[in-house]
Amino acid sequence: MVAFAEIEHELGRLRAQQEGEEPVVRASTMTHVAWVPERWLPAARATLAGLGERHPSRTILLLPEPDAENGIDTELSVQHFGLAGLERQICTEVIELRLRGSRMHAPASVVLPLVRGDLPVFLRWRGRPPFGEPELAQLVEVCDRLVVDSGEWERVADGYAELERYLERIAVSDIAWARTLPWRRALAERWPRIAGISRLEVRGPEPEGRLLAGWLRSRLGIELELEVDPAAAVEAVAVDGEDVRPEEDDRTPSLLLSEQLEVFGRDAVYEAALHAAR
Amino acid sequence: MTETEVPPPISPAEEAGPNPLLEGLELRRRPEPCALVIYGASGDLTRRKLIPALYALELRRLLPERFAVLGVARSAGNDEVFRERMKDAVRRHARDPFQTDAWERLAAGIRYVSTDVGSGDGAARVHDVLEELDWHRGTGGNRVHYLAVPPSALSALAAEIGRRRDQKTGFVRLIVEKPFGHDRASARALNAELERYFAESEIFRIDHYLGKETVQNLLALRFANGIFEPIWSRQFVDHVQITVAETIGIEGRASFYEQEGAIRDIFQNHLLQLLALTAMEPPIDFTAEAVRNEKVKVLRALQTPGSKSVVRGQYGRGFVEGEEVSAYREEDGVAAGSETETYVAAKLMIESWRWADTPFYVRVGKRLPRRETTIAIQFTRPPHPPFEEMAIEGLRPNVLLVHVQPDEGVSLAIGAKVPGQGMTLRTVHMDFLYGGAFRTGLPEAYERLVLDCMLGDATLFTRADEVDEQWALVDAIVASWERERIAFPNYAAGTWGPPSADDLLRADGRSWRRH
Repeated sequence: MVAFAEIEHELGRLRAQQEGEEPVVRASTMTHVAWVPERWLPAARATLAGLGERHPSRTILLLPEPDAENGIDTELSVQHFGLAGLERQICTEVIELRLRGSRMHAPASVVLPLVRGDLPVFLRWRGRPPFGEPELAQLVEVCDRLVVDSGEWERVADGYAELERYLERIAVSDIAWARTLPWRRALAERWPRIAGISRLEVRGPEPEGRLLAGWLRSRLGIELELEVDPAAAVEAVAVDGEDVRPEEDDRTPSLLLSEQLEVFGRDAVYEAALHAAR
Repeated sequence: MTETEVPPPISPAEEAGPNPLLEGLELRRRPEPCALVIYGASGDLTRRKLIPALYALELRRLLPERFAVLGVARSAGNDEVFRERMKDAVRRHARDPFQTDAWERLAAGIRYVSTDVGSGDGAARVHDVLEELDWHRGTGGNRVHYLAVPPSALSALAAEIGRRRDQKTGFVRLIVEKPFGHDRASARALNAELERYFAESEIFRIDHYLGKETVQNLLALRFANGIFEPIWSRQFVDHVQITVAETIGIEGRASFYEQEGAIRDIFQNHLLQLLALTAMEPPIDFTAEAVRNEKVKVLRALQTPGSKSVVRGQYGRGFVEGEEVSAYREEDGVAAGSETETYVAAKLMIESWRWADTPFYVRVGKRLPRRETTIAIQFTRPPHPPFEEMAIEGLRPNVLLVHVQPDEGVSLAIGAKVPGQGMTLRTVHMDFLYGGAFRTGLPEAYERLVLDCMLGDATLFTRADEVDEQWALVDAIVASWERERIAFPNYAAGTWGPPSADDLLRADGRSWRRH
């Protein structure tokens, strides 16, 4: 356990400890903040494991524990990755902060001293963000991009309406939207036949179905009826009864998040789809 | 339009206008359907670079869905044998682990024709197989012809392809490997021959250095960072050093190298292209014509160096990486009294507002101590450092070093205070390593260039007028050598070239960068 004030010092010590014969390069491309309630922790750790190597960064894992006694527990780790063909390694830093009791209500004050200066800050919110609550509002103020996965939500339609209110305050990515990419590509190839369709059938999760329908409505300017047959992942899509065949999608959860961390500006196409997805 | 010409029919897609669903989906550039014909398909380049590059593109689904590769060479073989050899090549040389499904997708479109295109029915056989591929693979009559053949075969092969192109409805593009000519006259003759059948926009002269990420990053570094461009001129740059150093010898290529030497093999193309990219003015955009217009201006502004500004060398015996290696003249196939240079250094001056009086010291060589390609921008010293002389003994001028290969990246040498009492300064490096900041794996140059050609993007290929200017400079240097003999060998393998290369800079009060 490390005292909050000692984090920078301790990270420096950990990096130096690793500097054996091979010098460690501390390359950073961003600060990655992740808000991870307890139930999402295993999934978040698994994603993180595949992410560090692709995005040398400082990751700040915020683990809220509302029912615990007030305080912050800190754990630090430095991960090293060899550079192919070079006698060097890079390191990424993970700062795990358990925000106990009332400490979870002021997360921006915890994050701000730790973000890497002049680099983008991405906020990955696990589960449904508490729209309207101060935790989310504070972190949105100090981050550049909010990454959610509406596939982790209940009451998706309400969630989209709430999320839309944040679009003027922060750029937003939805990993559920990213998962629809192969389907969108396959649908786009049907132009111009697709221009007059009236019905979309999706066998898959509701968020992906809604977003695909919203995308077609907003891009084609049409009314579109959506029918979703629930499944864990999108298995089939049909327009006016005709099946659509996408390319194989072998992106892992790490890769899906990684792609979102390479996007900086607002995504007007997504925002229009979100608006029309409700 | 004449009276008899009828406008082409408008397709339903054209009538419907642009596809609104494509906005935001253009994440991957994917070319139109096409067939890639590799002439010289039994050679090293195909095995070590081209097929592994195609595999990497297929793995990332960057190739067209309707795509085929036709290998053409004189060596005996058939589709099956060629596919097996290429599968082995992918296993050995690809940058990605072998994945059966990706290979099978690529292999399904691979064919081989054993023939000599320049004689008998060779060209007709190639043509027939391409028609078959159009039918079976849907390649739509689009062709990319990769001419990986010896320079002597290039002209006749291009003419053969050109004569048959009229029957086609799709696009035709030629990728031509270096060396593009042996001198200015032969390069012009070759260009003239190609231009009989192909437009300049259909000719892609490949210089694989331009496909390297770090070379492209040089443009990003210069034109995407406000801090560098204002000081990228004679006012703040003392001089520039460009080094293309190899540890290897001629690797069994004596017959080629004896004819070409270092000046034609590397200096004429790779090195002058690096210089042009370093010195060029900002292009108005990143289109092929805009970038190449700026490069050719630099090449035109290069002064012809006098004989005292050029040094050539040839390696003798020595040690490289702990191993004793032969002298150049002892290599298989090299004449005992060979006068071929394996090293060239030069002081080049650019007659332009930006670079007047700022030397570009360049060097290329074989059997040097370390493999590296670097561009070093050395800035002027501060006019009056307010420190005692002893304090700044270890301080060198600021150098921005672009590592083209290996260790791709950029480093900046800056002065910093040594911790402790007093004020002692030392030079330290701030490094940006490509592999450290972006962990996606750098694409091989050939991946980028072959894909660009399929897409019709010639930005990273050399235009005819650039080649012409490069040869003009090289011809002038070589002409001066013919009047002057040098006692070769004049540097030991494993050293940084002949002592006269050091003198070249010493005369200006400078020295080659320390390694």
